Amino acid sequence: MRAVTRRQVLLGSAAATLSALVGACAPRAVATPTLPAPTSAVTAETHPTESPPTPAPATTATATAATATAATADAPTAPPPTAPPTSAAKEPSPTPLGAADMAVVRGADPAATGAVAAATERALAAIGGIERFVKPGYDVIIKPNICNANHGPEYASTTNPEVVAALVRMCLGAGAKRVRAMDYPFSGTAARAYVTSGIEEAMRAAGGEMEVMAPMAYVEADIPEGQDIKRWPFYQPILEADLVINVPIAKHHSLARLTLAGKNLLGVIDNRSAIHRNMGARIADLASLVRPQLTVMDAVRILMANGPTGGNLNDVKQIETVIAGADWVAVDAYATSLFGLRPEDVSYIAAAAERGLGTTDLDSMEVAELDLGGMAYIPRQHP
Amino acid sequence: MTFRHWRRARQAVQALSFLAFTLAVILTLRDAPATLSAATMMRLDPLAASTAMIAARRWLPRLVPAFLLLGLSLVVGRAWCGWLCPLGTLSDWFAPTRRRSPSPPALAPEYWGSPRSTGAREPARAATDLPPLPVLGERAGARGPAHTAADLPPLPVLGENPSTLGRGPGVRGSAARGAKYGLLFVIAFAALWGNLTLLVLDPLTLFIRGIATLALPGLTWFVTQAETALYRVAPLRGALLAFDRALRGTVLSYEQPFYGGLLLAALLGGILAFGLVARRAWCRYLCPLGAAYSLTARASWLKRRVSDACVACGACARACSMATIDPARGYASDGGECILCLDCADACPKGAITFEGSWSVDRGYAYDPSRRQALGALGISLAGLALLKIAPSNHHPDAHRLRPPGADEAQLLAACVRCGACLRVCPTHGLQPSLTEAGLEGLWTPILVPRLGACDYSCTACGEACPTGAIPPLVLDAKRLTAIGKAYVDPARCIPWSGRAECIVCEEMCPLPQKAITLEIVRAEDVTGAVRELQAPVVDHERCIGCGMCENMCPVNGEAAIRIIVDPMG
Repeated sequence: MRAVTRRQVLLGSAAATLSALVGACAPRAVATPTLPAPTSAVTAETHPTESPPTPAPATTATATAATATAATADAPTAPPPTAPPTSAAKEPSPTPLGAADMAVVRGADPAATGAVAAATERALAAIGGIERFVKPGYDVIIKPNICNANHGPEYASTTNPEVVAALVRMCLGAGAKRVRAMDYPFSGTAARAYVTSGIEEAMRAAGGEMEVMAPMAYVEADIPEGQDIKRWPFYQPILEADLVINVPIAKHHSLARLTLAGKNLLGVIDNRSAIHRNMGARIADLASLVRPQLTVMDAVRILMANGPTGGNLNDVKQIETVIAGADWVAVDAYATSLFGLRPEDVSYIAAAAERGLGTTDLDSMEVAELDLGGMAYIPRQHP
Repeated sequence: MTFRHWRRARQAVQALSFLAFTLAVILTLRDAPATLSAATMMRLDPLAASTAMIAARRWLPRLVPAFLLLGLSLVVGRAWCGWLCPLGTLSDWFAPTRRRSPSPPALAPEYWGSPRSTGAREPARAATDLPPLPVLGERAGARGPAHTAADLPPLPVLGENPSTLGRGPGVRGSAARGAKYGLLFVIAFAALWGNLTLLVLDPLTLFIRGIATLALPGLTWFVTQAETALYRVAPLRGALLAFDRALRGTVLSYEQPFYGGLLLAALLGGILAFGLVARRAWCRYLCPLGAAYSLTARASWLKRRVSDACVACGACARACSMATIDPARGYASDGGECILCLDCADACPKGAITFEGSWSVDRGYAYDPSRRQALGALGISLAGLALLKIAPSNHHPDAHRLRPPGADEAQLLAACVRCGACLRVCPTHGLQPSLTEAGLEGLWTPILVPRLGACDYSCTACGEACPTGAIPPLVLDAKRLTAIGKAYVDPARCIPWSGRAECIVCEEMCPLPQKAITLEIVRAEDVTGAVRELQAPVVDHERCIGCGMCENMCPVNGEAAIRIIVDPMG
């Protein structure tokens, strides 16, 4: 651990939570909003030098305020919102507030309206806010897992649409020029899968675009750091985007054991089945070129068996968790624990860590573990 | 409106109809409303409608509009052929252009349509000096039934024409035109025996199939190649992607391979090439739908008439793409052959041609359908049926004859009109026209070729697109439980079973909620004697529905190491 106290983390997390920009809605909010319009104030807290992003709709702003109030009520040690923790941020500290390396937010109850989105926003806030990743004018591509057109999100084979939508709103709020989402399903057409997964509707409502990946845009690209594969057809817009946000869902896979962020990258290339030979090294090779700068893992519902397609609700486990981090290897490493596995059990995580694409040593980084309902710190359970 | 206007109107209607048919095939999409689709167009085909009902022994109310068209032909004759049929329109477009020259009239009664051949002939020939006869051999009267003058309806005979001499009274037209009736009768008798194989020659099925399995896949390939080449030019990328987004998924497919295209291309190419030899030769001699319309059109109300103003210049005969205007009979024509294109009336310098209503029957032609012909067709249909039925495929079905979900083999053969709507609508293009898998009898009926495309677990499009119910419409829940075949692993070629490496792609791809492919640990020893454990696929045949995802995705080169074959116990 770096020289950061648990209390600092807690403070930072609480402050970061307040800086959730738009669209938050706390399912367990108890207080009515009595606070000033939180959007601009909150932005000023975390990013005092930046102009406020696009204001949220009125209802959303209210919800954000409710979140803030609830959080304040539940976490008495957090600074009151009226005295924003900008002062705290100015304290001499090696780790700025809201700048954990990775955030794990629980309580993303898919049955509660807005909870998944709120958890996503809180996770982002805890790792420094979306502005850490999105600069005004950015062309952003979100890569969810929409691997098939067979089942809706409750079957946990495709990424939760609310996670995607929350990211779109945040990116647009941070001034992104355009936010696209895309995947290349192996079962069913993309157009169908986009609808079945619910992601198309959520994207449209959030102001993003779904892109059906065009055959012409797969271009052979060199992989300078490739060890097993040196050249592969990649979907070029992915390589050219200002920011690629990898938004996988955590699920079972027979060969890789788990489909997580690393394996989700198979959706940006052509000739996927060939990756299955020497999968660990090859996924690490792909990741060395794509290098998604932000990974937000949907573990709201996870698929424990019969992955990656699923279709049986008995295989779905609802754990209501969203994980966010800049280091996909670390996010994946954490996610293995959700299945009772260790990072080294998953070949591509081990290969990527060995390659230096990220770390599986979670003790070396700052992991903010939060619960959406309160601000209680939940110690991480290592298997 | 002058006849020039009418003719132009006809050409416009032809173009619109062609466009509508093409659009209907394009719009035969999984998610498109069914208002305009290949199935809609098949409702306009009385031949396919009646034979499908006869063969399937089932009333198909959806196909009733076809009979209205047939009824309409009692009024306007073969106007379908001249105004609406997309294959006829294509034939017109591919016809050699006629030179407009004041050459002497070409009086060969069954002239071959191209300017060269017509110009070469002399207007009057001695009885013994008939022109040399090309390909189809039109020894008029040699084979046709001998009609006497008394059989003939009154004809507007306008002056003597030398070419009638020696041809014998009542022997008119080429017997070769009777071929289409022969084909029609064979198709009708075959339908009576439950067979629809020859509907591959129906012009509408030919057209729909041609667009669906030749034109659109070809276009997809060309456009994708062009896009891929142009994509390297960075400034064009935005426009290219927008263009692709507009067309991909509708006009253009993602991957659209079709096999058996060569045979269809040869057939369609042959029809068009035949049209270069003689205009609308297909329509004159072979088209079975045209034959069906001829049978009613000969009694149709609207008839072409030539008035006394005729100066026997022959312009109408030269203009007639069906070559049914007979200079030997005062430029009269057969109502059963006339497609009401109005070219003759437009070409007539004297305005001698009119179209008038009268209830009469045109007959007395060398090519009239005859009892002999019908008996011959009966014999041919029986012999053909026997030939098809003694084929080995009827005794030991091909292991890869995988039918669309829910399709019963006998029902499918008895109701499939070979239109190809299912091939078009299949999102993975795993549905392919069979060549040999279902025997000659099942030529171009749909089979699943999983290596090209699996049966999408969430799709019921083929059953919905089928115009005749040959593929039953299934609800998704039923389809997901309907087995097409069963998957079998070939351990000698399977990557883990043969001990070569890890691979679980087939298991991964199995879409069933409880996967039909499970993995078992095998101990593999390599040449060095080192032993390692590999996961290897095992199929649970109780669960497997044979959708073919495993075969489709199997990463081995060439034939998959896991294949769907017909259910050995099914």
